[in-house]
Amino acid sequence: MGTSEERVVAVIMVGGPTKGTRFRPLSLNIPKPLFPLAGQPMVHHPISACKTIPNLAQIYLVGFYEEREFALYVSSISNELRVPVRYLREDKPHGSAGGLYNFRDLIMEDNPSHIVLLNCDVCCSFPLPGMLEAHRRYGGMGTILVIKVSPESANQFGELVADPVTNELLHYTEKPETFVSDRINCGAYIFTPDIFTAIQGVSSQRKDRATLRRLSSFEALQPPNRSPPSDFVRLDQDILSPLAGKKQLYVYETMDFWEQIKTPGMSLKCSALYLAQFRFTSPHLLASSDGRKNATICGDVYIHPSAKVHPTAKIGPNVSISANARIGAGVRLISCIILDDVEIKENAVVIHAIVGWKSSIGRWSRVQAAGDYNAKLGVTILGESVTVEDEVVVINSIILPNKTLNVSVQEEIIL
Amino acid sequence: MTALAVEASGGSRIFKSWEPTKIWEGARALTGDKGDHLSLKMKALILVGGFGTRLRPLTLSVPKPLVEFANKPMILHQIEALKAIGVTEVVLAINYQPEVMLNFLKEFETKLGIKITCSQETEPLGTAGPLALARDNLVDDSGEPFFVLNSDVISEYPLQEMIDFHKSHGGEASILVTKVDEPSKYGVVVMEESTGQVERFVEKPKVFVGNKINAGIYLLNPSVLDRIELRPTSIEKEVFPNIAAEKKLYAMVLPGFWMDIGQPRDYITGLRLYLDSLKKKSSPKLAFGPHIIGNVLVDESAKIGEGCLIGPDVAIGSGCIVESGVRLSRCTIMRGVRVKKHACISSSIIGWHSTVGQWARVENMTILGEDVHVCDEIYSNGGVVLPHKEIKSSILNPEIVM
Repeated sequence: MGTSEERVVAVIMVGGPTKGTRFRPLSLNIPKPLFPLAGQPMVHHPISACKTIPNLAQIYLVGFYEEREFALYVSSISNELRVPVRYLREDKPHGSAGGLYNFRDLIMEDNPSHIVLLNCDVCCSFPLPGMLEAHRRYGGMGTILVIKVSPESANQFGELVADPVTNELLHYTEKPETFVSDRINCGAYIFTPDIFTAIQGVSSQRKDRATLRRLSSFEALQPPNRSPPSDFVRLDQDILSPLAGKKQLYVYETMDFWEQIKTPGMSLKCSALYLAQFRFTSPHLLASSDGRKNATICGDVYIHPSAKVHPTAKIGPNVSISANARIGAGVRLISCIILDDVEIKENAVVIHAIVGWKSSIGRWSRVQAAGDYNAKLGVTILGESVTVEDEVVVINSIILPNKTLNVSVQEEIIL
Repeated sequence: MTALAVEASGGSRIFKSWEPTKIWEGARALTGDKGDHLSLKMKALILVGGFGTRLRPLTLSVPKPLVEFANKPMILHQIEALKAIGVTEVVLAINYQPEVMLNFLKEFETKLGIKITCSQETEPLGTAGPLALARDNLVDDSGEPFFVLNSDVISEYPLQEMIDFHKSHGGEASILVTKVDEPSKYGVVVMEESTGQVERFVEKPKVFVGNKINAGIYLLNPSVLDRIELRPTSIEKEVFPNIAAEKKLYAMVLPGFWMDIGQPRDYITGLRLYLDSLKKKSSPKLAFGPHIIGNVLVDESAKIGEGCLIGPDVAIGSGCIVESGVRLSRCTIMRGVRVKKHACISSSIIGWHSTVGQWARVENMTILGEDVHVCDEIYSNGGVVLPHKEIKSSILNPEIVM
């Protein structure tokens, strides 16, 4: 369905540098959206999902990073996928809905009938074609992607209640203290252009009302003109909550995987989820151990074409190896992300770890962690240019860039 | 993209420009005003080295030589001491972030009237290799000896006395040594007491062989460069022992204080020693007043409120605002920090543009990186906090907050 006039514009919110410190130490060297999961930059996954929508006119990446951080990526992905991708920098915080509104003129330039809004740091199958079709059937202003989670974990997110027959959104509340619902907001939406009217309505309401706020000491630090302006509009509290139950918003439930990628540990978990997805969507990207010339591969493994892996190494499951990495003889890699230009010398073992760009892992050394993706030291992380000398053991630790370890460490953060 | 460029570009208000790497020769040196006995133009090399990881989180925002000590970039203490005895050219041996250093140095070259160049290692060359790399900058036809300093070292810099000592013994190399209480932690220099001739070096000795250690300040004849190959070389382990064996290496005991301030604990001790030496010289830079105890340095642009008690051993940087009722002791407050009312800070370093909230208590080697905000009433016991964080709950035990 959909006439040739019905164009779709996608907007992906990518965040900014000083906001997300939870992704350190990896974010010390690269903007989080460009960190690779299953061999592709994080933002590549929602972008590829947008490509499955018919009549996609444009993709905008919106964030607080400097333009030059994304310049190279944006031009190469535009060429590769044959769809215009453009990075737009927000000059100041407008809130999750305000950011969308801020660029409404650009977004509406293509006269789209629908706007897809995605968060970059969400790991998901992004079932956009099905969601768009459902959205057209519902005929509302917006459709929210939801997923069922365990009741205990639901309160970390936005909880939704929907009508089981019509799928209308009846109630929405952000991070409630008591249990409301086990269906949560996945951070993916489809809107019609009416969303801009709704956002504008909120900010003009704000302007008319005098606001008395008790300022915390941190807010008092901001220069006077930075206290929440009227154009700061949050999607959850200011749009979704008030409009629930008014026959304007609907939900679409996904049965696939869903995770938030807030910490480096979670990036390892999400890399594994995307690798597993590749088995169905892009099996040619996964490595296989055919022939005596190749290393032994178990499970889902991605190896960049320029990486060199010795035939006696055993790789996997859940391993992704980036460009120009060199994996030596007899190396064993399990559940890890090996970044560009890393050298892993003979007989080393890496389990549940992220090895940073240009790092060097010595012979017979062992880099590992318990593999608890949510724990602070559950995945061992080596920053850029870290050297682990021969026979050294690194367990459940985080090592910042440019360090050399010549003694073993356990449960430590090394600055 | 250079390491840490991403977060730095997003957040640091200190160094924004990241220009392409190149060796940059700055403005011509203005001739020294010490024209009398120095028609000789002496040169110096400062070993700046690497990433300064021991001074993280401060060095996540700024390269180590530019981190302020007693309200002045560390390396400026040394460059000024060299300029004062007539050194006309300083070479910085670096292997990290040359662009950031070069921007800073442009400014100081003209202000100080001394030529500053950078010699960049493309691979680590140890403690002697950089001298070989900078050879062309260090030696000319004059045959004059040149200084070598380690960038982490703070001391009185008795450089003129060292020149006189070097001339009097006529050897090939002179080093400064300093007396320490626990020599086994370091490399000990065993020397003949009356002449200062060095017999040998002993690394971390198990029995007592002497209590003088290498202070990291050398005066070398150009011939020393012939002993150094352009490869990773250690000056203490390879070069000096060879010169000592030929009885051409002499050591002078450093009068006054000495400190390697490359890590936070020693940085804080070093400030005490430095301010103490200012006191001994009756320096007008030290603050005085009813609210000052002991030795305190306050930048003239800093504002201090009423009812405060500041000191001993405190340095407050430019643009700082210390509100009323604040207690500061044994701490360094970097540029642009705001300490709110009734707060209490001791034995800590507060990074640039941070804030410490009302009634907050910050102590025991708390190190706050750039732009860290400690909320009101929070307690930090040894928290080490990376840049751009807000501390909303107390840190009861020493911990790194990323």
